[in-house]
Amino acid sequence: MDVYVNSSSMIPIDRYYEYDIYDLVIEAYKNLEGEYDVNDIDLVLVANAYSQRLNNTSLIAPKVVEKIGKPNIPSIKVDNADASGGAALFTAYSMIKSGLANSVLVIGVEKQSDFPSKYLYDVVASNLEDYMYYNGITTHSIAALLMKQYMKKYSVGREYFANWAVKMHKNAVENPFAYLRFTVDLNTVINSQVVSDPIRLFDIGARADGAAILLLSNKKVDTSVKIDKIFSTQAKYDFNPSLPSIRMLKERLGIKVNDKTGIEIHDSYSIMAALMLEELGISESGKSLYNLDNINVNLGGGLKARGYAGGASAIYQVAEAHMQLLGSFKGKKASVEEYFVVSSDDLGIVSYGINLTR
Amino acid sequence: MKIAPPQVWRNKRFMYKLIASKCEKCGNISFPYSPYCAKCGSKNVKKIETSGKGRLISYTVSYQSRDGYEKGLPNVVGLIKLDEGVEIVAPIVDVDLDKLQEGARVEATLRRVYTDSYNGLIQYGIKFRVAEDENR
Ligand SMILES: [Zn+2]
Repeated sequence: MDVYVNSSSMIPIDRYYEYDIYDLVIEAYKNLEGEYDVNDIDLVLVANAYSQRLNNTSLIAPKVVEKIGKPNIPSIKVDNADASGGAALFTAYSMIKSGLANSVLVIGVEKQSDFPSKYLYDVVASNLEDYMYYNGITTHSIAALLMKQYMKKYSVGREYFANWAVKMHKNAVENPFAYLRFTVDLNTVINSQVVSDPIRLFDIGARADGAAILLLSNKKVDTSVKIDKIFSTQAKYDFNPSLPSIRMLKERLGIKVNDKTGIEIHDSYSIMAALMLEELGISESGKSLYNLDNINVNLGGGLKARGYAGGASAIYQVAEAHMQLLGSFKGKKASVEEYFVVSSDDLGIVSYGINLTR
Repeated sequence: MKIAPPQVWRNKRFMYKLIASKCEKCGNISFPYSPYCAKCGSKNVKKIETSGKGRLISYTVSYQSRDGYEKGLPNVVGLIKLDEGVEIVAPIVDVDLDKLQEGARVEATLRRVYTDSYNGLIQYGIKFRVAEDENR
């Protein structure tokens, strides 16, 4: 049985002071377009990472379906931190593939802008191992250590990583769903505020609020994009530096990239972007961020500039891939026939690889 | 920041001591301790207390704190290779930033980590400092 993405929707990632977590979903749901029958939905999966601490709400899946007028459809929250969206897609795919469901609505939502960043990053740090969490370490510092090791190993400087931010902001300018729609130059990035040296403000994915929705089904329609493959891997980063979970994905996905291939990676930090492109075999080690114009990567601006909607990230990534493959994406377009989407957590421990074709 | 006393008491296994696992099958050492090897899954694992001494592989100076950890900014966070061979990430204290060097010998020291302003409880933990007498 084949599994298709038949419909997709998203709202711009932003700080929505007027909306609560449910309002975000409702806004995305209003925009859900394409050929589908809501009465056919067997299951709703809600991908979300931080609602308990950031929004003081649990049991959000049944609350969400009630608010969108489908109170009796079974619903489950899927949480694998910032990789929740990938986990939800993996689950939805498995349900359809096994015949347990004909269609699954996958909703990604995260509301992260209600608190000052020091509180938000305290919550995000709970992803770290307990001994680091209780010692006050941030994920920024771990990314900084990975970045420093990379700089040493490949003898590259700050400006090497700045290339990523410059490129992502350039892409985001064209994307009406992006959070940071402005261009930046190399100097702005290199001289931005130091967060955890050598990580600067522009090296970090921009966390804000967002909701995106996908309808997965076993029924092929005019707006269908096929999920050819989906894999889940996990392994801890090491300070070589490397991301073994991404290397495992490469082997399973059998990635081959040409100018008709679109790529979406989880660029929570510029160092993550470099490591992902290299571990996937798309770019040469130590050189990935030099030649970004030759690949169709993160055309909507990535987590860096489209915005980082936490556990909803993969739903945004696949929604964008769906629109790109249909030729209906409203931002920077590429003529692509195939997409590889990599969803991960902040530090690339848990990863999902999704291969989509028209 | 609220402190739960039972949590502090349990956390002593990694906050007050650096107890690690040594796998008798594959030789892997992992921190914190678990009765199963994090590499090969073997349960033939020995509990070892590390010496708390090691070498600073790398470090980052962090200018943004988490909620409850504002004191002592900027924080230095080190990537440390303990003499037993395991790598850990931990705060570095008593630092003269101009003199801190990668490759320096470091040693564990017990320090205050954070305070519960509501209940007046204090969490202590292991941080690292440069071991001056041992250097080079
Ligand atoms: Zn072992």
